[in-house]
Amino acid sequence: MCRPPSRQRRVSRAPAISRRALLAGGLASGIAGLSSMPARAASTPASRAATLDWALLETLLALGHPPVAATELVQFRAIAVEPPVPDGVADLGLRGLPNLETLLLARPDVIFNSSFYAALEPRLSRIAPVESFTLYQPGRPPYAPMVEMTGAVAARLDLAGRAEAFLAAATTRFAALTARLGAGNRPVLAVNFGDARHVRVFGFDSMIGEAMPRIGLANGWDGPTSYSAAAPVGLEALAPHGEAWIASVGPVPPDVATGLARNPFWQALPAVKAGRVLWLDPVDPFGALPSALRFARLLTEALERARTVGGG
Amino acid sequence: MGDATAGRLAPAPTPLTPTLIALAVLAVAAATVATRPVVPGLEAVMLWQVTLPRAAVALLAGAALGLSGALLQRVLRNPIADPSTLGIAAGAQLALTLGLAFAPGLIAAGREGVALAGGAGAAGLVLALCWRRGFDPVTVVLSGMMISLLAGAVSATLILARGDYVLSLFIWGAGALDQQGWDSAASLGTRLAAGLLAALLLARPLALLGLDDAGARSLGLGVAATRLAAIAVAVWLAATVTAEVGIIGFVGLAAPAFARLAGARTSRQILMMAPLAGALLLSLTDSLVQLAGSGGRDLAPTGAATALLGGPLLLWLLPRVHAAGRPAPQHASGRRLRRPVLALGGLAAGTLVLALLALTLGRTADGFHLATGAAFLELLPLRGPRLVAAGGAGMMLAAAGLVLQRLTANPMASPEVLGVSAGGGVGLAALLLLGAVSGPALLAGMGAGALAALLVMLAVAARSGFGPERLLLAGIACGAFSMALISIVLASGGMTAYALLVWMSGSTNRVGPFEAWIAVAAAALLVTPLFALTRWMTLLPLGGTASRGLGLPVPRARLVLAVMAALLTAMASFVVGPLSLVGLMAPHLARLSGFTHARHQLAAALVLGAALLILADWLARLLVFPYQVPTGLFAALVGVPYLLWLLQRGGPQRS
Repeated sequence: MCRPPSRQRRVSRAPAISRRALLAGGLASGIAGLSSMPARAASTPASRAATLDWALLETLLALGHPPVAATELVQFRAIAVEPPVPDGVADLGLRGLPNLETLLLARPDVIFNSSFYAALEPRLSRIAPVESFTLYQPGRPPYAPMVEMTGAVAARLDLAGRAEAFLAAATTRFAALTARLGAGNRPVLAVNFGDARHVRVFGFDSMIGEAMPRIGLANGWDGPTSYSAAAPVGLEALAPHGEAWIASVGPVPPDVATGLARNPFWQALPAVKAGRVLWLDPVDPFGALPSALRFARLLTEALERARTVGGG
Repeated sequence: MGDATAGRLAPAPTPLTPTLIALAVLAVAAATVATRPVVPGLEAVMLWQVTLPRAAVALLAGAALGLSGALLQRVLRNPIADPSTLGIAAGAQLALTLGLAFAPGLIAAGREGVALAGGAGAAGLVLALCWRRGFDPVTVVLSGMMISLLAGAVSATLILARGDYVLSLFIWGAGALDQQGWDSAASLGTRLAAGLLAALLLARPLALLGLDDAGARSLGLGVAATRLAAIAVAVWLAATVTAEVGIIGFVGLAAPAFARLAGARTSRQILMMAPLAGALLLSLTDSLVQLAGSGGRDLAPTGAATALLGGPLLLWLLPRVHAAGRPAPQHASGRRLRRPVLALGGLAAGTLVLALLALTLGRTADGFHLATGAAFLELLPLRGPRLVAAGGAGMMLAAAGLVLQRLTANPMASPEVLGVSAGGGVGLAALLLLGAVSGPALLAGMGAGALAALLVMLAVAARSGFGPERLLLAGIACGAFSMALISIVLASGGMTAYALLVWMSGSTNRVGPFEAWIAVAAAALLVTPLFALTRWMTLLPLGGTASRGLGLPVPRARLVLAVMAALLTAMASFVVGPLSLVGLMAPHLARLSGFTHARHQLAAALVLGAALLILADWLARLLVFPYQVPTGLFAALVGVPYLLWLLQRGGPQRS
């Protein structure tokens, strides 16, 4: 987990595991039917991808190559929203508890995985070759690893051209948003409400934190982060950042609105008093480039709306 | 019983010491206020809407919990009853969690009502489970901790299922006192005032309850009504605290104990002093986590910090828990099988059929599907290890449960509350924090954690010759302490928390050949010697004196059996997480089916344990396809209604 290269590509092959288990005793075939899985060469281009991680799902969708199977599509459509998931993609269930049988029956020829689900890797590599990425790491800005991952995924699927086009389009879109916002903007605190008293704040080691400087905005949060977002902190942690915008990234729990209305401290915050609070639609907090672009667009639109109303 | 034993704890009320303590606590609180983060332009708001309300909430919530604990201890005549040990706080928190996930409108309408429903439900469940054992303190706490674990596992699953949405759940089990206004203080204050008034009114009837029920009744006391009223007030107070600030562990346990230490003797004195002690305790803890924190962040959530007190406190209170619960030996079941070996064969055959079904019948996007031939062989590497591991873990849990129930003569004893699996969880957390991901390394970490918990438990129990009550309570104490540590790690979020949640929910998903082999080998190695120890298991429930009279080396037998149970539990929890209740269910099922001889009961429990977890694993995979319920949790959720039904028909106690 803490190896220095930003991208880890470990290609696990079935035989290594088969042999270990076969050595374990004569019951092996009864327990696991271990030798039935042919080893596939990892270097040939794959076409049927599957993934457990939403960052990779987003990337595959953005490359115009939907996976055959991915996790928690119901939640993905509600939280990550874009790019849209076509019908036909098999839902593997929870990210923490993917349905391996469904994964097997989807017949992937490559499984893209992330360090979040590393514990499952021995199981996954029995189904198809696994290519794993460490995308989020505490204290490390994730943008560069995401770009690299996008390239690596595309290369594996023989779509290098599409990755270049997508990355170029992303740069163009960030630039366009920067131009729309202009210079001299206040910093932004991107937060996600846990309840009416707690938020997590997106730091520099999150994709949301990475999106802000790319559209010319400073991330207002300079406090400690833990895994791309500070663990829930009390609202009072926002007090020292009076100059900043507060941008709430959805979804917002149902009791927050009434709670904040009755929260005298919240009402007294300079940003709240001055109407510098933005309510954004949901964004996948552990997403890849598409999520960063979505956040950047939502934030720009919200700031523009606030400007026409006369705030800021 | 508080009155009866208070005399030997404290010589006489010395008003000076409590006053000094109160002054010291207030000085620390003042230091916290003085060192608060200063934000230019917001000084007044920070002081009046953040710092001071938080200090007030700490005092009020502590007082409410102290009063709640004092009432519960009084009414149940149980020195270790409190909202944490009875599962009330966990039940309230689970209701809030479920409400947030499935009925947000309900939460928006009022958190307190939802929390109250959950707390009352948990209390009702615990008391129903212990009805037949006369609310024996150890059994009450066993059941309460089990309900807490269950609530924790359900919450863990919900977080996994709706992770990005229910982020506040990361604060689960670790209440945070941050305030940004006087709302909570006001609502806690009014509830506390009402609770104190009720306690005053109840003080005399409660004092009479110190007599036995018949004596109290002859004095014209509505015994049941008094009990119910006191419990209702206690649950309400605890539920309000949970609704406002989350779970604040074990303050209700500590406060009455400290009140007695400070010299409170009569039930009225304890009812009045416990809120004070609770207020000071929570205030002190909250000040300390703030002072020790950095960058405006607390060192640990206050609720988890107080929970760390729970384990040591339980150990300290151990000597007070005695005589109240006389372990009743398990009588032979009314039903007795004439040919147990044949019946065993039938059970084993049934389990094999079940295993075959679990291997073949699955579900795909198109519906149910019977895998044969090539499809069967293809799915075998996925289904085989899960099945084998679930079966092995089920056998180990059943064996551990049987050993514990025989060892302690307590039908509610189960491996979950032994503290060994929670200790394993702490080891797992430590290794995860160090960056380990592989199965063998994590197994080693869990083993080390479980071993540490076991050693502490045995060291505590050794002083009583491994007496059953002491052993159980030492196990509960280790478990409480370990769970508090796990809550702190969970509250910090991040990858470690995620991996811990997966383990806590009890999923067999990551089980591969390595884990399956471990489960089988461990089951074979650890279960076989038990068959040689069945004589001990037959005699020990008769009690220490009788067993000694029959020539049993009692302390040695208890030690060996305790170690066996702990090892079995640790290995099983590596595979299916810390909770499944199979260890509780399987031995009872075996006995109720008529396997009375210890050897037959053991064999039948092993088969039934394996069958139960295999069934749970299979159904958990089928029911909400493609989504899956974690196996351990699924088994536990099925297990609780079963237990209630069992007790309804006079199960473990009289069977």
